[in-house]
Amino acid sequence: MSKRVLVVDDDPDVRLFSVTVLEENGYTPLEADNGETGLKMIKEKKPDLVILDVLMPRQSGVRLYRELKTSKSLKDVKVIILSGIAKKTFLRSQKALTEFGGAEVPEPEIYLEKPVEPEELAEAINKMLA
Amino acid sequence: MDKLLLIDDEPDIVRVLSISLKADGYDVIPAHSGTEGLAAFQKEKPDIILTDIKMPGMDGIEVLKNVKDLNPDAEVIIITGHGDIENAIEALKYGASDFINKPVRDEALSIALKRAREKLDIRQQLKEYRTNLEKKVEEATRELRRRANFQIRLIRSSNDGIVASDKDLKIVIFNPGAAKIFGYTQSETINQLHITDLYPVDLAASFRDGLTGDRRIKDFAWRETTIESKSGEDIPVRFSGTILQEKGQPMGTVAFFQDLREIKRLEKELVKSERLAAIGQTVAGLAHGIKNILHGLKGGRYLVDIGIEKKDNERLKKGWDMIKRNIDRTSNLVMDLLSYSKEREPELEACLPNEIANDVCELLQDKARDNNVRIIREFDESIGEVTMDPRTIHEILLNLMSNAVDACLFDEDMTKIWQVSIKPAKEENRAIRFEVTDNGSGMNEDVVKKLFTSFFSTKGHRGTGLGLMVTRKLIEEHNGTIDVDSQIGRGTTITVRLPYTLTYDGCF
Repeated sequence: MSKRVLVVDDDPDVRLFSVTVLEENGYTPLEADNGETGLKMIKEKKPDLVILDVLMPRQSGVRLYRELKTSKSLKDVKVIILSGIAKKTFLRSQKALTEFGGAEVPEPEIYLEKPVEPEELAEAINKMLA
Repeated sequence: MDKLLLIDDEPDIVRVLSISLKADGYDVIPAHSGTEGLAAFQKEKPDIILTDIKMPGMDGIEVLKNVKDLNPDAEVIIITGHGDIENAIEALKYGASDFINKPVRDEALSIALKRAREKLDIRQQLKEYRTNLEKKVEEATRELRRRANFQIRLIRSSNDGIVASDKDLKIVIFNPGAAKIFGYTQSETINQLHITDLYPVDLAASFRDGLTGDRRIKDFAWRETTIESKSGEDIPVRFSGTILQEKGQPMGTVAFFQDLREIKRLEKELVKSERLAAIGQTVAGLAHGIKNILHGLKGGRYLVDIGIEKKDNERLKKGWDMIKRNIDRTSNLVMDLLSYSKEREPELEACLPNEIANDVCELLQDKARDNNVRIIREFDESIGEVTMDPRTIHEILLNLMSNAVDACLFDEDMTKIWQVSIKPAKEENRAIRFEVTDNGSGMNEDVVKKLFTSFFSTKGHRGTGLGLMVTRKLIEEHNGTIDVDSQIGRGTTITVRLPYTLTYDGCF
């Protein structure tokens, strides 16, 4: 059975882009259009990888990433961040939350800034799932 | 008890008088000769001395002289023999306060004593008064000196330029603050120049008029003006002044100048840095928007490429739609940016606000129906025709109402019957009030605060983050106001007030 990858993004075009890349590379895509649904699906479907946006309604990618990385059962879920937000802004937000009394969270292994080329995205996915 | 020295060479008289004086409350010191009396005087220091004039050895006149030498304030009453006027006069010459004749009658004695007592009291009072007065004068002088010093220091150290003139407009005070502003030194100005040499013509004229003219304006309130310094530089200052008066007569002028150069410079810098910050924010926000659109375009191109390669029509179509959507997003962003950056004067013409609101409702009807949102039109038919910019109203209402519908879409409370209402109404002060209310998701305070800042969007990919900025700009250009009232989970009411002018209908 092919590996399953969850795409969490509120923009349907971005999801379609990522989903197509996944399909073309032989993975099974799953979709969620906000952080809250995303978390629910991670718990239920146990995907092998999550491609996560940062700015979303309901729950942002900053929060979702933090919840994953601080949860005993979910901390090993692999995550690629794919966002229009710069990496340093994301890290600054995480640092602020840590200073605000949150736990230390590791930097994302792969952080891609939109726009990305399909090859770039495919390469990142393959690397994470190798 | 008052001490009284009684001197007489006849012991009987001393004894008898002592008895009656003691009865009157005096502490009597008896003496039987001038010498003895004088010794007792030096020892006991009585205030009142009653002495016989004719005594062997030192007589009364001698006693008097000696006593007066020792204490000029002592009251000496002389007892004279009957008809001894010459001696009495001599005694008075030496400072006796009174004399009584022998035989001494109680009545005469007590009157003389009473007078002496009064004199003593008055003298005592005078003395106290004088001492007091001296002390007070000394204190007042000290205080005056202190105040003068204080004022001199105050004037000298004041950052404000202080310039005072006498009534002939000649400069008498020119503090270092004034020197800094005007560029003249104190020695160049004090007693050398007139304020007319320094002040701008209108200022000098107001002072001259204040001193001599009929309209005596005594105070000139703070106002901004420009003075010319010695080097010819125009210096922005705040100025206030007063005509100094003494007993209703003008005696001079004083003027205060605050140097506004630094403030003006800071103001300019602030404006500049605010503009730079706004540009920076705009560029950052814009970059984010463009990055997302580019991502969509790349995705679209990718799908189209695969579609062509694999002859997969579905992919091809999806990819092409994606490209089209992102072209629309580009165009929205550019249009919003343009309308935000463009200065536009409202184009006023006769229009019907209700009708414009109705058009907007029609435009949104489909989107609202698809999402189970009811649109409620609460029109006030009395509004009728007014002169406003109909395009402005249209754009504002379209923006606010589609936001209101979006607020319902974002709402998670599925038990609600969502509705958006538009309520135009006439206000008393020639303004139309438009209330757009929804019962959707509502906003918290943080969001409300950021509503009008650029590129802030709660709509994710669907918003450019410029809509409300454009709306506010349109409202401001139309001299209107916008107010937001929102409660999370309950909904939002946005109230816009736009002024109108009456349509010309021949009644003017």
